[in-house]
Amino acid sequence: MVLVLALGDLHIPHRAPDLPAKFKSMLVPGKIQHIISPGNLCIKEVHDYLKSLCPDLHITRGEYDEDARYPETKTLTIGQFKLGLCHGHQVIPWGDLDSLAMLQRQLDVDILVTGHTHQFKAYKHEGGVVINPGSATGAYSSITYDVNPSFVLMDIDGLRVVVYVYELIDGEVKVDKIDFKKTATTH
Amino acid sequence: MLSDGVEDEEKWLAEGIAGFQQNAFCMHRALDSNNLRDALKYSAQMLSELRTSRLSPHKYYELYMRSFDELRRLEMFFKEETKRGCSIVDLYELVQHAGNILPRLYLLCTVGSVYIKSKEAPAKDVLKDLVEMCRGVQHPVRGLFLRSYLSQISRDKLPDIGSEYEGDVGTVMDAVEFVLQNFTEMNKLWVRMQHQGPAREKEKREKERSELRDLVGKNLHVLSQVEGVDLEMYKETVLPRVLEQVVNCKDELAQYYLMDCIIQVFPDEYHLQTLETLLGACPQLQSSVDIKTVLSQLMERLSNYASSSSEVLPEFLQVEAFSKLSGAIGKVIEAQPEMPVVGAISLYVSLLTFTLRVHPDRLDYVDQVLGACVKKLSGKAKAEDSKATKQVVALLSAPLEKYNDIVTALKLTNYPRVMDHLDHVTNKVMAVVIIQSIMKNNTYITTANRVEALFELIKGLIKDMDGTPIEELDEEDFKEEQNSVARLIHMLVNEDHEEMMKIITTVRRHILQGGPKRLPFTIPPLIFSALKLVRGLQGQEGDGVGEEGPVTSKKIFQLLHQTIETLSSVSSPELALRLFLQCAEAANDCDLEPVAYEFFTQAFILYEEEVADSKAQVTAIHLIIGTLQRMTVFGVENRDTLTHKATGYSAKLLKKPDQCRAVYACSHLFWVDEQDGIKDGERVLLCLKRALRIANAAQQMANVMRGSGGPVTLFVEILNKYLYFFEKGNPHITSNIIQGLIELIATEMQSDSSTHDPLADAFLASTMRYIQFQKQKGGLMGEKYEPIKV
Amino acid sequence: MNYIIGAFKPPCNISISFADGRTRKQVPLKKENGQTALVPLFQSQENIVGEVSIEPIPGKKVEHNGVKIELLGQIELYFDRGNFYDFTSLVRELDVPGEIHDRKTYPFEFSTVEMPYESYNGVNVRLRYILKVTISRNYVSNIVEYQDFLVRNYTPLPSINNSIKMEVGIEDCLHIEFEYSKSKYHLKDVIVGKIYFLLVRIKIKNMELEIRRRESTGSGPNTYVETETLAKFELMDGAPVRGESIPIRLFLSPYELTPTYRNINNKFSVKYYLNLVLVDEEDRRYFKQQEITVYRLQENQ
Repeated sequence: MVLVLALGDLHIPHRAPDLPAKFKSMLVPGKIQHIISPGNLCIKEVHDYLKSLCPDLHITRGEYDEDARYPETKTLTIGQFKLGLCHGHQVIPWGDLDSLAMLQRQLDVDILVTGHTHQFKAYKHEGGVVINPGSATGAYSSITYDVNPSFVLMDIDGLRVVVYVYELIDGEVKVDKIDFKKTATTH
Repeated sequence: MLSDGVEDEEKWLAEGIAGFQQNAFCMHRALDSNNLRDALKYSAQMLSELRTSRLSPHKYYELYMRSFDELRRLEMFFKEETKRGCSIVDLYELVQHAGNILPRLYLLCTVGSVYIKSKEAPAKDVLKDLVEMCRGVQHPVRGLFLRSYLSQISRDKLPDIGSEYEGDVGTVMDAVEFVLQNFTEMNKLWVRMQHQGPAREKEKREKERSELRDLVGKNLHVLSQVEGVDLEMYKETVLPRVLEQVVNCKDELAQYYLMDCIIQVFPDEYHLQTLETLLGACPQLQSSVDIKTVLSQLMERLSNYASSSSEVLPEFLQVEAFSKLSGAIGKVIEAQPEMPVVGAISLYVSLLTFTLRVHPDRLDYVDQVLGACVKKLSGKAKAEDSKATKQVVALLSAPLEKYNDIVTALKLTNYPRVMDHLDHVTNKVMAVVIIQSIMKNNTYITTANRVEALFELIKGLIKDMDGTPIEELDEEDFKEEQNSVARLIHMLVNEDHEEMMKIITTVRRHILQGGPKRLPFTIPPLIFSALKLVRGLQGQEGDGVGEEGPVTSKKIFQLLHQTIETLSSVSSPELALRLFLQCAEAANDCDLEPVAYEFFTQAFILYEEEVADSKAQVTAIHLIIGTLQRMTVFGVENRDTLTHKATGYSAKLLKKPDQCRAVYACSHLFWVDEQDGIKDGERVLLCLKRALRIANAAQQMANVMRGSGGPVTLFVEILNKYLYFFEKGNPHITSNIIQGLIELIATEMQSDSSTHDPLADAFLASTMRYIQFQKQKGGLMGEKYEPIKV
Repeated sequence: MNYIIGAFKPPCNISISFADGRTRKQVPLKKENGQTALVPLFQSQENIVGEVSIEPIPGKKVEHNGVKIELLGQIELYFDRGNFYDFTSLVRELDVPGEIHDRKTYPFEFSTVEMPYESYNGVNVRLRYILKVTISRNYVSNIVEYQDFLVRNYTPLPSINNSIKMEVGIEDCLHIEFEYSKSKYHLKDVIVGKIYFLLVRIKIKNMELEIRRRESTGSGPNTYVETETLAKFELMDGAPVRGESIPIRLFLSPYELTPTYRNINNKFSVKYYLNLVLVDEEDRRYFKQQEITVYRLQENQ
């Protein structure tokens, strides 16, 4: 059982002062094995904060990230799953599932995590999953109105991944759970 | 030399103890055989060891403790003697026959103790005699210990109220008088100690003296334990007398210690009721006395007292504690002009702490304290010393911590004036503290006036201050500071649009003074703050009303435009470009075509003129295409112009793969699912074909260069785009074309075996799997895919 | 040996007894041989009554030219040893010349005897009272027997007893004022007083009060003065500062004092002084001596 935290589009300090306090109190060091972020943190302080939660940190570059060393895309393997990471501003139309599916084929991954739209999404299609953890700070977005802060926690266990979505709605944290099973067809 | 001294002392002590024990032994024998005469003789000889001048107080204490124990045995003996018929009066005389004064007085005190217990004479008379007779010992150390002995044996025999030794009415006064007298004499001896011996050992002596202070202080403790010392007596007799001695002894060490002692041993309510007297003594103390610590202790105690129970608060008001303390501090500072600034400020910190704890509702008091502090600071050089600065920071931090709310601090008119006295570095530190307080407490600043006040406080972060040394500021620190300002801007909000607009204008006015280094940090949050307001207005304006009025989207966009422009002028073109695009989208949402067009124009200008780096260009192009794809406000003409430019830029990217990808991305500008008007299948195909051509060219280049693979991937990417539009129903994308493309890729793959690319293979494989999947899906999609062979 | 002793041994025992011998107070008296004996105590104007008993050794008789008893008051100056000055001499004839065969007793009485001086045993002088029985004999030496007794005379409380108060000092160095509450003290009295330090510029180590006795004997160029320090009593330990006052309380009872004797029979005087001594850290002594009068207080009846 591996816990993977996925969060992105924090846009600190351009669009939000900080992570919501409720999230901060939930995210404690030592519980999470990997953090993946599609990007737009945007500053080093945030990077350092995430690093303090878990040293195994994977980030791709959002258009506001000051750190130019983040790659445009990144793939990694966790257990039986191959994960792909990309901010998503490169995939036009933005947030378009079919286009993201193409990226998923290109990266040849089981789970593709992207951001940019600030809207939580988790789709299952042709044996793959596309996840957008939304904006962890609920940052302003030109694409999505009324953004609620959200992040995703993936519990990867064998061929199964349970995606927990944490969303802050009116000051309360709501948790949702989506279950995915990988079909045995491997690459 | 020093070690010799210590060894000598050890030797002397050993000798003293030996002599002491020998006589103690003889005394025991005399006691056992009820031989009074011998008992007196040997006890006097034993006590003669205390006559030594060679021991340090520390070692002397050892002898004293031994004597103390032996004298308890002797006291028992005296008591038994009286039971055997020996008159206590005779005993009292008998011990006074001893020729040496020190043994004589120890014995006298010991018999005196029995005398009081016998009640043959009033306790007050015996005590008075004892304390008077002890005057004979003027040697500081010996006198201190002797009187300490007197104090110890008399503690439980004071004619206190309720004590069995209480005589006629009013004898508690005698008890107090006795203790006060002993205290006074002890203090005099203690103070005099410093003049004993050679001047070069002064430091050592002061240390020794310090060790003995509790002997003196014990008397105050005894006084505090006397039942009969009620507030009235404390006020009328005890405190004035003690203070008289404190002031008159004119000794720094004693004054500091005793003031502290008074504060510690007597109850808080007494202090509260005698504040004037107590504080009145402060300016009379030696100027070297650390009064600030004394007063701080007092205020600390009083504030603890205040917080102990709400019932005592009226007392504080009744005695006007604040104004008295405040006045006293003023006088002390006046009386000690050479007191370093740090001392004065730390006094104010204490007073402020007191005020915040006792009168949290009295902001005027708080402001008054700050005002007094400003007065003290004015005329001093800014960068005084780091300790003073630390105190000023403490002073400024206290209200923040107390109220957890900068809004309260913003009401304090003297707050920024105090900050003005900080050096630049500290001023910035303080500003950061203020911001952190706001962030920590999640405090929203909701009016433009307060925002104005706040920026006044943190101006050290906002702009270069006059005379700021052109220091090579640490890059990291600077970033952190500016990022904290950026975070802060999100806390400056109001639901009311009009006020929010004022806030934005205020913030903008301030941050625009920040100069090229700060603007890239501070402008983005302001822009998004304004965009949020725009969005708020959207809900309200509904169908285009609100064109008039103080706050309109148009006005905001105008402001945004001007603000972002400043960014582009300070060489942050990429950031400016992103922000322009954000604004364009916002204008799109507000249905303001010309505005949106203008923003695009600005973005394009920046792209053309300022974005030079190829990688930055790629990102910029994607953002431009992505944004443009989402625009719904444009009429055909504007849209065509912009689309044309975007595709033009795409084709001109430096690297072929980038060109190719940007060009096929542009295909989405002609086919937008949600917009019926935009479904130009032909131009989509043109785009894709153009992308193919670029991919081909890239392929040829790669062949020439024998460079790395990649181009094949481009073909697969384009194939996927074909499939995308094929599925969307673009009539110009046919299964034939797709079939052709698949075969083309297959050929390419074979011919290009040297640059075999596993990623491309996998990509192609998954694409083929996808086609297969779609074919097997059945239904309309399955039918559509039917002709494609894989 | 026995023969010799026998030859010089007086042929009788003489004993002198007092009529109130059983009830009269006896006090110790230090004799010349260093032993102490208890002797009866009298005062002036008392009747001295008793009897003399003469008991010949069995088998012997005492021939005599008369028996007498004398009451003598003598002053003996040691530098003039052997010379006694009898300032009082009373005689009672007890028997006419004859023989005594058996024990014989003679009552005697000296009525209201004037004994103005007290018994005194000093350094250079002794004042003693004795009863002297003499059996006068022919051809052989007289048989003499002595009986000492002590005389003490009592004085009522003096009607005037001023305090002693004095300011003394060394200019710019030490200035003190001392006060003894009285100038006349009885033998069991307490000296109470105070010392005020008005100026202290020397480093005082301690302060003592001494009681000194000055016995002067003889007169003119032959005056002998002996001074004894009878008491050394520490009053203060350490150095006082200006303004300090130190209490004095000295009980006289532990010391063997006599009353002050002034010019006793033009032969001697005994005077008492209080000597206040200040000792500084270099062991220099600063002192001031004051005479006090010591008297024997009439016990309350």
